Amino acid sequence: MTRVGVLDSSNLTGGQRLAVKYFTVALVLFGAQILFGLLAGLQYLKPDFLYGVLDFNVNRMVHINAMVVWMLYGFLGSVYWLMEDEAQHPVVGLKLGEIAFWVLTLAVTVVVLVYLFVQYGPGDIKTIWFINEGREYIEAPRWADIGIVVVVLVFYFNVLATFIKGRFTGIGGVIVLDLFALAGLYLAGMFFTPNISIDQYWWWWVIHLWVEATWEVLVGAIMAWGLMKTLGVSRRIVQTWLYIEVALMFGSGILGLGHHYFWIGTPDYWFEIGGFFSALEPIPLVAMVVHSLYDAGKHHMKSSNHPALAWLIAHAFGNFLGAGVWGFMHTLPQINLYTHGTQWTPSHGHLAFFGAYATINIAFFYLAAQQWRGNVYMGAGIAGAWRWKWALTLLSVGVLGMTMALLIAGYEQSFIERAINGSTWAGYFEAQNHPWFQQAMWWRQIFGWVTAAGYLLLVWDLLAIGAGETRTATRVGHESEEAEAGAEAAPATA
Amino acid sequence: MQAIPWWAREGFWAKTAVFVTALSFVILIWLTFDTMKQIMAGSVRVPDYSVINQRISYVADDERGYQVPKIGPEEPLFGKKLTEEEAAALVRKGKLVIQGRNCMNCHTLLGNGAYFAPDLTKAWLDPAWGAATIREQLMVQFLMDPTNNARTFGSGRKMPNLKLTEDEAKAVVAYLKWMSAIDTNGFPYNFKPIPQGGE
Amino acid sequence: MEDCDGMLQPVELQDFFITFFSAAMVILFGALYAMLFAWGRLHNRPRLVWWGYAAYAGLVAAVLTLADATHLTGLWTWLVVAMLVGYLVAPHAIWHLCQGTHAGMEDEEAAAGQGRASPVHPAQR
Repeated sequence: MTRVGVLDSSNLTGGQRLAVKYFTVALVLFGAQILFGLLAGLQYLKPDFLYGVLDFNVNRMVHINAMVVWMLYGFLGSVYWLMEDEAQHPVVGLKLGEIAFWVLTLAVTVVVLVYLFVQYGPGDIKTIWFINEGREYIEAPRWADIGIVVVVLVFYFNVLATFIKGRFTGIGGVIVLDLFALAGLYLAGMFFTPNISIDQYWWWWVIHLWVEATWEVLVGAIMAWGLMKTLGVSRRIVQTWLYIEVALMFGSGILGLGHHYFWIGTPDYWFEIGGFFSALEPIPLVAMVVHSLYDAGKHHMKSSNHPALAWLIAHAFGNFLGAGVWGFMHTLPQINLYTHGTQWTPSHGHLAFFGAYATINIAFFYLAAQQWRGNVYMGAGIAGAWRWKWALTLLSVGVLGMTMALLIAGYEQSFIERAINGSTWAGYFEAQNHPWFQQAMWWRQIFGWVTAAGYLLLVWDLLAIGAGETRTATRVGHESEEAEAGAEAAPATA
Repeated sequence: MQAIPWWAREGFWAKTAVFVTALSFVILIWLTFDTMKQIMAGSVRVPDYSVINQRISYVADDERGYQVPKIGPEEPLFGKKLTEEEAAALVRKGKLVIQGRNCMNCHTLLGNGAYFAPDLTKAWLDPAWGAATIREQLMVQFLMDPTNNARTFGSGRKMPNLKLTEDEAKAVVAYLKWMSAIDTNGFPYNFKPIPQGGE
Repeated sequence: MEDCDGMLQPVELQDFFITFFSAAMVILFGALYAMLFAWGRLHNRPRLVWWGYAAYAGLVAAVLTLADATHLTGLWTWLVVAMLVGYLVAPHAIWHLCQGTHAGMEDEEAAAGQGRASPVHPAQR
């Protein structure tokens, strides 16, 4: 018996119940990301703020780690969410998955507490094992790395076994192979070498091949399922396009790795490889405009979940601007020589991570909230719709504002520190003290607060949306199942 | 029923996706082998750790159009020439300290890291140390007590005291000296190094 | 500045802004072209497609400006060619793929429509 408008776990399947646990932690970590980002940002303006207590390096580490982990939690949750429906089979080993969730969450908590209260350790291998690995984005100590691998293996078992016992669809196949690559790549970040060139070479395998390859494909697969379910696009079409996307993304993204190999000691043939693939990377992004318009024109989109659809549109724009425009502006080595390691990077990073990944996770949170309340209606004219609209606006304006502020700071920095002063320390500080930079940092902070306000509203809305609503959403999903059945029943055309 | 052309079929694109991914990956692996050969310590691009026994400078290379590191005459760190093994151990220690103290979440190394503090790629060669002869001592002093030896350049930003021991500080200095000898394809560009050896 | 034989000739100081700006315009014109092209084709409005090609002309100008500022000569000329050809062809290719993959979709949608009309349809779960 479904209860509409009430948060009731009986509205969810087993996998979905586990998924909302992941989503909840993801949302909490999203908050942590913003909080520690605000603290770190404030230290640019007031350098004595928390000096010696919670220094910039700690705040910044928690800021970026919280981001990586909340996004991974969002992805894991999304896969648990769709797995049963896609495989037409309950999650195999759900209990184990449940335990893995709690182990992972406990480990994350311990890691963060150690970051905050121990912060650093002596220069020996024990520090790397138990406190902090000191490598940007993957600072988690080695014990936690191993723990993460174990948990991911359990998750992987859930996914693989469920698809094997149920049915192996194209979407399922892409997820299984992509997760294998995603987990395998993590191993490339788990060793110590004194040689910083080798260190950064492999470090980029984890960072770039996650963010610009495997994550994108995972999101593509999750999106494909979402499109099929919410818009009723046929499975054959969705899967064909998923494969096209995989070909384009891996085809440009894997060797696009080269744009990180300009200045770390690696040979100069990476200039051409990196430059070439970086220039090609936006082409699929741009070309997909054609596809979305075509789809929007051919299928008459009706959505019974307006916030989710709005966040998907934000995803399309954010990804295009953040990854496409902001990425290409400073990626060719002829200009990257000046912008590498300046505020250009966070300008691009803020918009690209938000546009490509935060948006899509939030869209999924809304799908989950809808189902959790008994597939409640979330279309036009729901009560309190201002909340999700303002949350979307504040978060988008906040992140865009930060991006623009950092862009100005980065432009000034590449000019004064790099080009004029030749990157000396005196040049660095001259650029940091410049009025453009100082003002940009204030604007960044102000827009950071706007982002935080948007986050609070988002949390409130996710908890409240659909409460007391009695209408249910109309399902379009089953139509596609039939369409697909129809297509499969039809004789092969050649 | 309108026929779906072969180039728009699911099966065709599934195979293409696998092929493109595999091909890209094979090329990447092949390039990785070549790159690894060129960036091992002791190669042309990344020198041996014992390079800390010599003077390192950053000079214009007309053919390549930017500056490259140059290994000069003997100029041991802290006045003591180290063996291969000793140098390797010291640089290794330096890297462990740099990771254990989380330097990269304020500084950039080879341009990667955080942007709250200066890049360390050419820290060893930075003119801010005043004179080449006293810099190693100044660096050790600074690292051991950055709060009281703060050089904020008017920014108000001070490095926190991360309680480095003298041995740790020396190891970090050795690391920075070694890192400044890596051929980074001209990054940072147009850098003005500290004058050394009566230059 | 005389040409150098190095693999890389960095951007000059006075060309920074033009580099960032033209790079951004490459992507934005690329998207505008793709959008107008698709919109024009979809709604059968050839004039829009022509506006799309005007946007592509803007892209060509942006690419050439970028190439000049970042010294894309020698081996790098291929990058310019790849961008010019890639951005021109990609929307066409994707359009063809859209049509190709959607071939026969009318039948599928008809099937779906019948499914909806039919009083007996399989339970969703």
